Amino acid sequence: MIIEVSGLLPLFFEESKTINSDIWGKQISFTCGEKIHITAPSGSGKTTLMHYIYGLRHDYNGALKIFSKKLSAYTPEEMSELRRCRISIVFQDLRLFPELTIRENLEVKRLLHPSIPLSLIEEMTDRLGISNRLDKPAKICSMGEQQRTAIIRSLLQPFEILLLDEPFSHLDDENCRLSAQLIQEVAEKQNACIIYADVKTTSFFENQQLLRL
Amino acid sequence: MSDFKLIKKIIKTSGGVQSRSFSLAGLTVGLFLLLASLQTYFYIQQIFREKQIRKSGYDYVSLSKVITNENMGKDNRFTEQEMQELKAHPLIEDVAPLIASRFKIVAGAGNAIPFSSDIFLESLDESFLDTVPPGFSWQEGQMKVPVLFSSDFLEMYNVFAPAYGLPQISEKTGSSINIQFYCEGPLGSRTFTAGILAFTDRVNSLLAPRSFIEWGNKNLAGVQETKASRVFIKTKDINNEELLRFLEKKQYRVNKEKTLSARSRVILRGIVAGIGILGLMISLLALLLFVYFLKLLLAQNTENIRLLLMLGYSPRWIAAKLSARFIPLYVLASLMALATVQFLYWIFRLEFFNSEVDHFPLLSFPVWTAAIVLTLFSFTINFFTARKIIYKML
Repeated sequence: MIIEVSGLLPLFFEESKTINSDIWGKQISFTCGEKIHITAPSGSGKTTLMHYIYGLRHDYNGALKIFSKKLSAYTPEEMSELRRCRISIVFQDLRLFPELTIRENLEVKRLLHPSIPLSLIEEMTDRLGISNRLDKPAKICSMGEQQRTAIIRSLLQPFEILLLDEPFSHLDDENCRLSAQLIQEVAEKQNACIIYADVKTTSFFENQQLLRL
Repeated sequence: MSDFKLIKKIIKTSGGVQSRSFSLAGLTVGLFLLLASLQTYFYIQQIFREKQIRKSGYDYVSLSKVITNENMGKDNRFTEQEMQELKAHPLIEDVAPLIASRFKIVAGAGNAIPFSSDIFLESLDESFLDTVPPGFSWQEGQMKVPVLFSSDFLEMYNVFAPAYGLPQISEKTGSSINIQFYCEGPLGSRTFTAGILAFTDRVNSLLAPRSFIEWGNKNLAGVQETKASRVFIKTKDINNEELLRFLEKKQYRVNKEKTLSARSRVILRGIVAGIGILGLMISLLALLLFVYFLKLLLAQNTENIRLLLMLGYSPRWIAAKLSARFIPLYVLASLMALATVQFLYWIFRLEFFNSEVDHFPLLSFPVWTAAIVLTLFSFTINFFTARKIIYKML
């Protein structure tokens, strides 16, 4: 098991939240190669759950284990190693460096793994239709372009878990399809577990398991 | 880990040029004082090393009786009882008699230096000598007598030698001259060859092995007593008032001149240490300012640093890269301080010790080491400060 959740509930949530949820307050685990689609209306804690798994927040009751180790037991350096080599994420709010160009934003991630060829950036941006925006600062690009940049950035590293927090919210159907296809290709190559959170129940990945939060 | 150019673009250093220059100046001044005092300390050590009479924390001084009109003509040597009395004093660690020769000795350097003079020899316990050179021993029948020569005597000779048309001689040459000792007493006379083994600063006399003096006193002068005209004492502090009062009461004269020079060195060292501490404090204050600059840098870039951490950048790596930004300033301050100290040291040596400067006087090794250690220390302080703050951002 790569993720084990046991009785997890944010401190600021009431117990009643656990009643209709497949995750909050429950015992559940995820393994390599799984595609989990977590769906819930806004305000149900999708981003909170993503941040818990990514180790950005710890304000919860219950236990959360990543790679058989309690997340709170990871040292800062181990946590950075985890994010560098084993877990990747597409943030809901994208979190790009606005003053850097699209290329530089991607390069910041690739530099952590110099073995990843530079040409991969060109190839991926080309597939998602943003190669003509590579040298533009992120802040002047549209939200859709920024979102595709964030998706590519998440793929420019090795990972066993890929967290996607409403990754297609600013994309049209065609771009959603292209992005999902690219994500699935890269994730399957690494037999990674995809955890995809969205308000909609639309299926973008093959063989995905739907969970309510 | 990766190319830092891009990261430099993300974590920007902004403003504060004036305050940064001010801190750089402060650090340079602090380091200058610190390094200058260190260099002075080592230089004092170096110039006093040859003159040192204080050994292993003890003062070694000679005592003789004050010759007054009343005791003139009497036997003013130290009796066994007086020796015991000195030994028994709580502030005196040890006592050794200087046994004088009781026979006449005429020293000449043969043809090398046409000069001869009546001299007298003394002997002293080996433990009271700076260093006992190998070969400082004599057995009956041996024609060569090893002697230890007072540096003061050589100095005095060199002062008067030109007036008598004699060559001045260095310590090195002095050691290679064979001196003839013509020894004469009521029981007979003998000629020996004397070799100067070494020069000593502790005793202003000529020292010969005890066995030689005793042999001469017995076989040439016909006396066997071992009463000393001077004694050497070993004490923790010759300037101790109680000890001085005791010696004064006994009417013993203390040869304190050299002890005082040793004391003045202690005072000098104290002053130098004071300047050094001041320098260290100024340096630390300047370093503290740099730590604040680093904290400011981190505060201004918190969001971007947090994002780098989210992307998987190591806190240790970011801390090292940010701390390293100050290294050029630290190196610059160290270099400026070192260059100033080196320049002033050179001027000082040139001005005051002109004859000594036959090569460029480089600063002592520990001064260079201190400059390097301080630069590394500054980087380390910054690194740990930065890492601590970055850990909190995770």
